[in-house]
Amino acid sequence: MPLCLMENIRKIYRIGDIQVEILKGINLTIERGEFVAIMGTSGSGKTTLMNIIGCLDTASSGRYVLADREVSTLTDDELSQIRNEHVGFVFQNFYLFPYATVLENVLLPTLYTGYAGARQDSAKKRAIELLKLIGLEGRSRFRPNQLSGGEQQRVAIARALVNEPDLLLADEPTGQLDSKTASEIMDILSRMNKQGKTVVVVTHDPHIAEYARRIIYIKDGLIFE
Amino acid sequence: MDRFFKIITQSIKAIHSFKLRTFFCLISVALGISSITVIVAATEGAYKKAFEIVARFGPDSLLILGGGEEARAVGERQKTITLDDIEAIKETFDSAYLVVPMTAMREITVSYKDKKYQTLIVGSTSDYSLAWSWPVVEGSDFTEDDVNGLKNVGLIGQYLVKELFGNENPVGKYVLIKTIPVQIVGVLSERGTSPAGENLDDRIVIPITTLMRKLENETKYVRALRVRFMDQENLYNHIEELRAFLRKRHGIPGGEPDDFTIISPKEIIKFLVALTGSLVIFLGITGVISLIVAGFVLANLFLLSVRERTNEIGIRRAVGAKKRDILFQFLCESVILTTVGGFTGFIIAIFASRLLKYIAEFPIHFSWKAFVVGLFLSWVIGIGFGLQPAKRAADLKPIEAVRR
Repeated sequence: MPLCLMENIRKIYRIGDIQVEILKGINLTIERGEFVAIMGTSGSGKTTLMNIIGCLDTASSGRYVLADREVSTLTDDELSQIRNEHVGFVFQNFYLFPYATVLENVLLPTLYTGYAGARQDSAKKRAIELLKLIGLEGRSRFRPNQLSGGEQQRVAIARALVNEPDLLLADEPTGQLDSKTASEIMDILSRMNKQGKTVVVVTHDPHIAEYARRIIYIKDGLIFE
Repeated sequence: MDRFFKIITQSIKAIHSFKLRTFFCLISVALGISSITVIVAATEGAYKKAFEIVARFGPDSLLILGGGEEARAVGERQKTITLDDIEAIKETFDSAYLVVPMTAMREITVSYKDKKYQTLIVGSTSDYSLAWSWPVVEGSDFTEDDVNGLKNVGLIGQYLVKELFGNENPVGKYVLIKTIPVQIVGVLSERGTSPAGENLDDRIVIPITTLMRKLENETKYVRALRVRFMDQENLYNHIEELRAFLRKRHGIPGGEPDDFTIISPKEIIKFLVALTGSLVIFLGITGVISLIVAGFVLANLFLLSVRERTNEIGIRRAVGAKKRDILFQFLCESVILTTVGGFTGFIIAIFASRLLKYIAEFPIHFSWKAFVVGLFLSWVIGIGFGLQPAKRAADLKPIEAVRR
């Protein structure tokens, strides 16, 4: 089984009387270990597609299987659990909590796992390892506003990885960063991919897409490769 | 369980970091809770005082005053109760173990050596001290013989002792009541003030016969009558029986009002509650309004906070928080805030009541009850007014919360 399997996924938004079909029947397979870039102009539906892949949103129709679970039939709570265990998100705006330390931010997903005792300790160990991996081990007690944009995004990547998800989803992860910092971030994502993580990056920037080994274009709600 | 503790920790962090919101919520809840706490304490104090007074009055006792209920001051009441009435009551009511007549004269000049003082002279029988559960602490009570023999003997209140005798022992000394010399044989224990604020220790009690004949020139009427029953549980039946009995003896036709007033412990509680009731109602309304205002302040600040923290909620949902985790976190924030507010309010209440006691001599009694009521109400406010914002936070769609 592939990690992600989409069959004829459609997404329709209703705004008053107007219906807008954002996704018009997407068929997509992503195998474990792939590094995929989804490219498209704004309004093409790429973020909607990413949200559905990451179980933040559900399709209006069609079949979607993620990590051997039939997602289309799951409840809100079950979707939360899938996100918690199988998906790590990285957003354009980092979304770190200003009132928590770097380490606490990284540990956020472990709050919702129900880990206790020894597993909680191992989560903390893992978080510290991840901080080491991204080169921020000395900053674990810092607050996000004491870090640069690139460093903040690295913390966000560590947060996305702390529960060891199958899939790392990044929505314009370099949108707020200069090109040098952007390439640092993309290097980290590549490294994660080489270590076996499945990575999906959504971007409109061809330079960013070059890091991926597979590029999917989305236009008017349909995909092309 | 562990998950809940972790989420509670998140709530505490948020409370700590949104200081301005915390401050305003806390103040508004604290003020509301403090006024409610004062009310509870005041009500409790009033009841406690009422029961103390009833205990002193005697829960098995009645006081029958001459004159109808059209409330005149005790001293100016019509005299309608006769010595014959008293004998008849004694004979008819078997369970009445004490039937003690009383009569009184106000502002009578009493002098000892060169000191003069205007006081209340009470005439009663040797059962006076028993009838009012008011022991003689020095010397001795006067006796039945003193009453039958119209002896010039008396018991004196503590306050008057100080006024007339200073540090001298009054027992055995003679005072002049108007022009009549009376020997002080005993001193009554200290009794404080009546609910109406009258100093009860400012009096001399002498045999009723002596007072009627020698001071009042009266042979028939007394002012009041004290009755104590052995069967306390039937007290309220006895009131009705006594009423009917006295009406018949006084020949009052049906439809006419009584020419006497029966005061029972219930009556006293009613009076005391009415006395403090208006202040309690006023404080109650203020308290409830301030609590409701506190609730709305809380709800509004939380709604604002939910809007401000949309991204936080979105990211929490994205990393796997369930709706109920978000709901629980925000409810926790609100309940922790109101609980702290409640405690603060309780402390404010203690100070406020000191002030109130100082200004108005208002009986206030703090107990765990006031504390529990305050704490309970702060939870009600926390949950009641925190629920809506928390629900709104929980119902945010994750994709909308991470957009922007």
